[in-house]
Amino acid sequence: MINKIRTLKDILWFFIFFGIIAAIFRLWFGLGETTNLSDDVPWGLWKVLNMIAGVALSTCGFTIGFLAYVLKIKKFKPLVKPAILVAFLGYGSSCFALLFDIGLPYRFWHPLLMWNEHSFLFEVFWCVMLYFSVTFIEMLPNILEKYNLKKTVGFLHKIAIGIVITGISLSTLHHSSLGSLFLVTPIRLHELWYSPFLPLFFFISAAGCGIMFLILIKILYAKWYNPESVFGEYSNVKSNIICSLNNNAANNIIKNYGKDMPMLSSLGIIGASLLAIYLILKIYDLFRFNLFDVLLAGTWESWLYIIELMLTAVIPILLIIFRKSRRSPYGLGTAAFCASFGLALNRMDVGIFGYFRDAGKVYFPSLAEWALSLGVIAAAALVFLFIAENFSIFDEQWKDNKISKGIFKATFDSISRVWQTALHSSLHRVTLIGVFVIPVAFVLMYPPYKQNGKINVMPASGMNTIRSVLIIHGSRTGMNTEFPHLKHQDMLGKDKSCNKCHHMSLPGDKSTPCSRCHRYMFGKTLIFNHDNHTILVAQKRQISGLHAVNKTCIICHISGTTNNLHNTIGCKNCHDEDMNIINDSTVPKHFLYADSYLNAMHTKCINCHKENKKKANKPALDQCSNCHKNYYKQAETEKFLTLSK
Amino acid sequence: MDAILVDVTKCIGCEKCIAACIEKNNLNLEKSYFDRETSRDGLSSDRFLSIKKVDEGRFARFSCMHCLEPACVSACLVGGITKSKEGPVIYDPDKCIGCRYCMLACPFHIPRYEWNATKPFMKKCNMCYDRIKENKQPVCVQACPQNAIIFGNRKDLLKLANSLIKNNRGKYLNHIWGQKEYGGTSVLYVSDIDLSKMGWPDKNISAIPTITEPLIEKTPAIGITVGGFLIGLNWIIKRRMELTKQNDKTNNQKKKESNDK
Repeated sequence: MINKIRTLKDILWFFIFFGIIAAIFRLWFGLGETTNLSDDVPWGLWKVLNMIAGVALSTCGFTIGFLAYVLKIKKFKPLVKPAILVAFLGYGSSCFALLFDIGLPYRFWHPLLMWNEHSFLFEVFWCVMLYFSVTFIEMLPNILEKYNLKKTVGFLHKIAIGIVITGISLSTLHHSSLGSLFLVTPIRLHELWYSPFLPLFFFISAAGCGIMFLILIKILYAKWYNPESVFGEYSNVKSNIICSLNNNAANNIIKNYGKDMPMLSSLGIIGASLLAIYLILKIYDLFRFNLFDVLLAGTWESWLYIIELMLTAVIPILLIIFRKSRRSPYGLGTAAFCASFGLALNRMDVGIFGYFRDAGKVYFPSLAEWALSLGVIAAAALVFLFIAENFSIFDEQWKDNKISKGIFKATFDSISRVWQTALHSSLHRVTLIGVFVIPVAFVLMYPPYKQNGKINVMPASGMNTIRSVLIIHGSRTGMNTEFPHLKHQDMLGKDKSCNKCHHMSLPGDKSTPCSRCHRYMFGKTLIFNHDNHTILVAQKRQISGLHAVNKTCIICHISGTTNNLHNTIGCKNCHDEDMNIINDSTVPKHFLYADSYLNAMHTKCINCHKENKKKANKPALDQCSNCHKNYYKQAETEKFLTLSK
Repeated sequence: MDAILVDVTKCIGCEKCIAACIEKNNLNLEKSYFDRETSRDGLSSDRFLSIKKVDEGRFARFSCMHCLEPACVSACLVGGITKSKEGPVIYDPDKCIGCRYCMLACPFHIPRYEWNATKPFMKKCNMCYDRIKENKQPVCVQACPQNAIIFGNRKDLLKLANSLIKNNRGKYLNHIWGQKEYGGTSVLYVSDIDLSKMGWPDKNISAIPTITEPLIEKTPAIGITVGGFLIGLNWIIKRRMELTKQNDKTNNQKKKESNDK
């Protein structure tokens, strides 16, 4: 068991180191470089999985508080402490992850002073913040107990009921408000998930699945630390010993699960009944808005909806209805896992997947997003394990348990040849993990490695044999245009000018679009990449130093105080006619401007059309409307042409 | 309240309005040029205005609609976006925390985010609010060579649009986009083709704050009733437990007495 817990912690540390690197990159390079978020998908993994799903899974704080404090059911008293711990860590980790998600983290306190009462997000902020402080106050006595602060603990116990009631009403508000957040998108959200009942759905599913999540935590904890409490007294006995017994005795041993099992299964019934209400409401919603056509349409959204509903409600309810599965930790654990996973999936559906159809784009979180998200969850799990080990959270007699004793036993390390305590060795292990993980994480997630989306510019297509004219897909209306290739050639320097367009600043570029030279709509463009030249010249001349680029000015700008075009040497001082670099040449200055896009299209194209008005079988372009209002269909254009003739 | 009327039949898609907008707002010219190809509707943090091709040869100015009841204003949790008296919906970068809820809330997908900045802000058209305060027209209106964009009082523009539709029978569709959609917008459209391709809804949808306002008004009441209900429940259960204890005690005493007798 000790080894298992140790490896679990090592895995958690692995995620934490990854998350730390991701967090540093997020703060250093900004959101766009580290995440796959865009203007089409503004909300991603951090907000939806960590914040909305994380908060929804930690509802056990208020549900158990309601059962144990308000309804005063004594059976559930031992679950109060773990429930509060889960709630505290769930809310804490969600808020922490959110700090990295918002664009300006240092302004997180703004909603405290700047109010907008009409915003659901404002309400969520206040309620989550207040409830987080409530869980903190509820947590305090559990921690302070260990340090014999009886007065404060007594005081906190006295005000417990008041705090629990404020906590419950705050939870009711913000869990429904988290659903209301998505009410503002009636068209954008997929109709399967958009519903005016969203707040109700969110509240009930969070309450039901929160209880199931607590059951899952309790069973997992018992599996690792205290198997007798859930899996029964003989859970440690090896199976071959049980097999050697006669059948009846073996059955008795297996059937007698731990003392906590009845409590957990009755809690499961409460959770399942909440989920049953949720299922009925969901089906009512489908009937009310006639969504069965959409549900059975066979799109991936409909399948996702069915899977999500099966996981959240149907499977857990079925598992809990049957007495045999309800009373075994395995059946109950499966139900709890399905419900928790289904809840997270539901929140992801509403927050992310439901918007894909509207965004026209699929979003998959980047590695850094996964790393930070899982890192925060891992950190919460590690804090959970630490508190569970060192404070009396799950069991009163747990204080002097054999396993906790075992962890702190000194051992002899054969590699370093020293006696060391467990704390010592765990520190060693953690640093070792850090040393291995941090460089890997750094290399994998370094943002400048991320490729940016390349722009597709339609290349020239079609060419006659003498290359005098090219057919270019040019205008917005989708019609092709003729490009006077020969004229351009003449203008740029006859036969040896190919490289001016084709290889000048873009090696490997087969053809240059018009817009590469006629770059701006309303201004002239110099066909010369200045910044690229400074770098290349510095490299060629082997100029070294911190800013080598700054020393290259005088190489091209020969005289005068200001660096402008008139005191600059020509291209051909350094380049020969194939644009290979030569050392010396006496060719005079040579500069080239490209017209603005507007002028290139208007003066050049239109003039040419005017000249060849009769020759070319095209309308005269001296009227704007011929180009810009080309709303006639092709047949109508032909009609128009014949009429104009 | 000021507004803009866009006549889709007149627009030739020359993008002079965009050039003027870029110049006025000191935006990155090169980046805005590339954003035209990469962005879905031509808008980006360096391009507040775009020309959308609605149909073959039909173009329309597309930017913030400056709704009368804006979803972004009701969504912003710090009140960083406000609807001004003059008409424009304006953004205050000093308040923004970067939650991007406005981007999710806007039915027209207008707000854009400076994703690549380490100190990012939301960016959108503000209808040249500083110029409107000086009684000048927005730059895009001034730049339009075809008078396809008209600036003026919203009521006057609605009258103008109605008269346009009446006088040129058959030229325009009998609908003013922006008059009622999402509770009315400050950018109005008249057109001869259906603009539902451009992001306008097919059916008439009321303003988005009208969906959320009634709910959010109820929340304090819900909180108080839940709290009150719980206090009451707590008191009743406590009282009952005490009573059962007392009953048990008295019963026990009676039993003892009867036993003694």
